[in-house]
Amino acid sequence: MKRDLLDEAVSALRDTDTASEAEAKQTRADILSGLRRTRVQRRTRIAYLLPIAATFMVASAWGAASGQARALWLGVEHVFSGSAPSAAPAVKKSAPLVSAPAPGAPTLTPTTPASEAPLPAEPPPVTAALPVAALSATKASPSAQPSAGASDDPALALYRAAHAAHFVDHDPARALAGWDAYLKAAPNGVFAPEARYNRALSLIRLGRIAEAKRALEPFAQGQNGGYRQQEAGSLLSRLPTQQ
Amino acid sequence: MNVSELAMVTEQALGETAGLHDELIARLKRAEPSAVGEVYDAHHAAVRAFAKRLLGDAASAEDLVHEVFLALPKASHNFRAESSLRTFLISIAVNHARHHVRAAVRRRRAISHYGELPTARPADPEQDARRRELAALLTRALDDLPIEQRVAFVLCEVEERSSREAAAIAGVPEATVRTRLFHAKRKLREALETEGAR
Repeated sequence: MKRDLLDEAVSALRDTDTASEAEAKQTRADILSGLRRTRVQRRTRIAYLLPIAATFMVASAWGAASGQARALWLGVEHVFSGSAPSAAPAVKKSAPLVSAPAPGAPTLTPTTPASEAPLPAEPPPVTAALPVAALSATKASPSAQPSAGASDDPALALYRAAHAAHFVDHDPARALAGWDAYLKAAPNGVFAPEARYNRALSLIRLGRIAEAKRALEPFAQGQNGGYRQQEAGSLLSRLPTQQ
Repeated sequence: MNVSELAMVTEQALGETAGLHDELIARLKRAEPSAVGEVYDAHHAAVRAFAKRLLGDAASAEDLVHEVFLALPKASHNFRAESSLRTFLISIAVNHARHHVRAAVRRRRAISHYGELPTARPADPEQDARRRELAALLTRALDDLPIEQRVAFVLCEVEERSSREAAAIAGVPEATVRTRLFHAKRKLREALETEGAR
């Protein structure tokens, strides 16, 4: 009896009327208009997004080719990691760049004996003579501080120490030793170009101009993909020709 | 025409059909409205019938049909040639049915609450009225089943599909379908018996 009742109910349900032809046609029209609307929306979206994507790709390609992408990326990393750019400027505006010349080394100050380092008749203060870009580079190299997550890496610890000596303590001798230590540990490390550039600045501050020039030349020649090329060129043109 | 010629013609026809089918699927993947229209014309009746049987409500069934065909272009990227397009459409309907079932159940309960259930119409002949009443009874009993058991019952019992096909549609093993069907039928028998005794 139970089976019969269920079977009968199933049969009855199977035979229930479905929609009328008009309803089916109406649903068809609704579906097709909905699909057309979706297609138009998709095309509109593509029309907006394609130029943006193309611009982004061209900018990325240009950045990669000119070496600007890396600096930009590191800048973005700084923004998102929340760390401020380098805590202190490398050079106090009031202080001469070459504040502590090495013994026996020529200085860039007007007090330098003419026989050792001939200077222009009216030499500007060294800090003024140096390009602003070069100074700002020493202040806020966006990649100057490796991210906190990299604290386990001994090479990056060396980089941090050098960075602190250079930008916080303004101790060029210790900074130079620090950059050398980092570059010895990681000659092809992530921050090697920055370390080499900062090392060159330390050499300038120590008055080791010939070494500084040698260190800056690869940058000026664009061997680091354009990184600091302009600043290095500017620095080289303003450094004394003789040591 | 001898046997080998007949076989060749049949092969050719089958190949052409397969080619057309592939082309249709490719157009569906590109979301061409004309392709969806073709599929609708060929299969809407089957999808609508399933939706009506599953939901027990013409308005909800119409909504589900609408949703199935709108979702078809996107879903067609998952279409595998081993199942038929109709089976595939039913499986889309199953995947989209859950909230429609809930809506249909709510609607039925509200109507039932106000005593306006459009089942037994006095004007109908007696047999017709009884069948309508039975169908309505079964639909209400289905409302108390979990959606999985409901789908298994409608596919296997109402639509008379094999448990294998039902398993392919629901995307579960065949044994699972049989288990769900067993429990569904047991519960429905109990429910119909209780209702019938009133």
